[in-house]
Amino acid sequence: MNKTSNRPAVLSGFGRRELLLGAGGVAASSLGTPARAADDSIKIGLLLAKTGDIAAQTEYLANGAMLALEQRGGKIMGKPASLVWYDEPSPQGAQQNMEKLVQEAGVAAILGGALSSSALAEQATAARLKIPFIINNAAATDISGKNCNRYTFRLNTPVQVQADMFAPYLLSQGKKWYFLTAAYAFGQDIAKSFKEILAKAGGTVVGDDSVPLNTPDYSSFILKIRAAKPDIILGGVPAGDLSTFLKQWNEMGMRGSIPICEIAIGDTDIWSVGPTAATGLFTSLWWYTNPNNPKDEQDFAAAYLKKHGKPAADKAWMGWITAKSLFDSMDAANSTNPDAIIAALEAWKGGTAENPYYYRKADHQLMLKNLVIQVKPKITDKWDYFDVKGLVPSNSADLDKVFGDPIANGCKMT
Amino acid sequence: MIDVILSQIAAGLVLGGLYVLIATGLSIIFGILGIVNFAHGNFFALGAYFTVTLFDYLGWPAAIAAPLLVGIVGMAVERTLIRRLYDKEPLVSLIVTFALALMIEALLRLVYGGIGQPFSAPPIFTGIYLWGPILITKYRLFVFLTTLVILVAIWAFMEFTPFGRILRAGSRDPEMVGLLGIPLPRVLTVTFGFGCCIAGIAGVLAAPLWTVTPSMSEGAIMPAFVVVTIGGLGSFGGAIIAGLLVGIVSALTIQFQPDAATAMMYIFMAVVLLIRPRGLLGERWERFE
Repeated sequence: MNKTSNRPAVLSGFGRRELLLGAGGVAASSLGTPARAADDSIKIGLLLAKTGDIAAQTEYLANGAMLALEQRGGKIMGKPASLVWYDEPSPQGAQQNMEKLVQEAGVAAILGGALSSSALAEQATAARLKIPFIINNAAATDISGKNCNRYTFRLNTPVQVQADMFAPYLLSQGKKWYFLTAAYAFGQDIAKSFKEILAKAGGTVVGDDSVPLNTPDYSSFILKIRAAKPDIILGGVPAGDLSTFLKQWNEMGMRGSIPICEIAIGDTDIWSVGPTAATGLFTSLWWYTNPNNPKDEQDFAAAYLKKHGKPAADKAWMGWITAKSLFDSMDAANSTNPDAIIAALEAWKGGTAENPYYYRKADHQLMLKNLVIQVKPKITDKWDYFDVKGLVPSNSADLDKVFGDPIANGCKMT
Repeated sequence: MIDVILSQIAAGLVLGGLYVLIATGLSIIFGILGIVNFAHGNFFALGAYFTVTLFDYLGWPAAIAAPLLVGIVGMAVERTLIRRLYDKEPLVSLIVTFALALMIEALLRLVYGGIGQPFSAPPIFTGIYLWGPILITKYRLFVFLTTLVILVAIWAFMEFTPFGRILRAGSRDPEMVGLLGIPLPRVLTVTFGFGCCIAGIAGVLAAPLWTVTPSMSEGAIMPAFVVVTIGGLGSFGGAIIAGLLVGIVSALTIQFQPDAATAMMYIFMAVVLLIRPRGLLGERWERFE
């Protein structure tokens, strides 16, 4: 079913609830009327899914972007600014909505790309429309690899790089792996990357299931895993699908029997499972209680908690930091000219002096260390589910090496 | 290999049982009201959400209160919206109920947010049974047995109670039922609420297994339509047989061709319709011809 609302929701001045109301189709009523900003205002596009399981994550991505704008008084380059949120119902629908954002809403830049399948399509459209586009969630390797272009920047660490970072933790658990990955770009990317690593390490694939998206029942998959007796399960199922799998994994008495490992999960995926069923070893970009978070990120976490009454998920930070990098860069460029914004983004830096992160000029990939996190053995707090097991790579000087040479990754910036 | 197949058939029967429950409400509403209710999956989701919410106040009695509440919501929807569709083209009811589905999902997202609501089965159902190669959890066995009891109760209600007879008569010739002095509009209101209540029961049973999110209806509505279509539109018995078959087909596909698990359900439907265009137990209904 295609549950698409193409009507814009102008975010400045509205709360999350009003936005979500508009997002779901109720926008056809009073909230659907776009509140046009003043003529000299700056508009930034949000291109994020409004329905489906991924909406649990995009809600946080949008919240983070909104908070980034609020924290600077709703202004960019000293002018009133607003966010205009369009849906990304499918790769083709997302491309159409991106065109509308540029041609009808007149946005200066776009933040979005929740799913890899959509983001890969959107980045081609961004290049054609010559609009700066920061992908704030998708992790497919090709985004900053062979599909890279000078208008597209990407926050999330590519699947291949996360796989390389995560591999030592997984191989220490054993070399008989069972692959359970989603039957679309993200899952296929994970399966390919980790199979290469396992083959090099002399390991064995004892099971390999490609799972349709939105699978409601995993009992048959779990029976197969149980029979295969792997050392670990290498997961590549996204968002709500991971939550459903973990719930049923626990329900079938399997929790604690075989480690479940996955990259690029969202905190919300695990919060949805509940404390009795949550389990697993994962990579993540950010965790709200990590004591090593820089001061501005700690302030963001506090502001988010105050505003929403619950902690910022990693996706909220991802929405926030990509928006912040864009707004900072537009302030620095003092221009809405795409070339000026791109140059400023290439010069932007976040984090701390000891642990900086930045968009690499050669492929526009954010160079950022990842966290290895594990669900606590016993969860006593409603939100505090994870222990931070490590930061990879441990040395900042190794970032370039871990992320690989852009040319070798297939990126020929056009 | 026979061990593996038996295990998967057992898993498929439990999944199929849940599909049967969802599809039964859809089938009753279509059979008696003539409405293809695209929002049926959303009443299933409401059942799960009401359970999660009421659990904080009532404990496990919430599992009984929630479907009743879904039924009341269903009756209110029938009174305010659905009854205006009875004399309209089928396309109008499709569009209106599709809009209703969007609205309910948006409302759930508005109230609860997009993140899933954690919910687990009661501790009494923790654990598994192992019979030879067959593994089934206590909770899934409970779901299957509960589904059987509910289906028998629905059948007995439809066959042996005066109200059940009115429903069956009304589904064939509503005009004659009205001429006999039976207030059919009230009957239809209760019927729609009853169908929604059954979807709500399925939602309650699914809450500890599925992720409770506003979009959980999507995982319910399409299998329900497939089950109703395979079984024969409006056929109660057909929905039961089809639901169990769909569950088994899905489970066995996962064993041998996992990436085709969802598609196989539709292929199965296409094959059945090619052989029997009215579905397995579909009959000729004068009012739909």
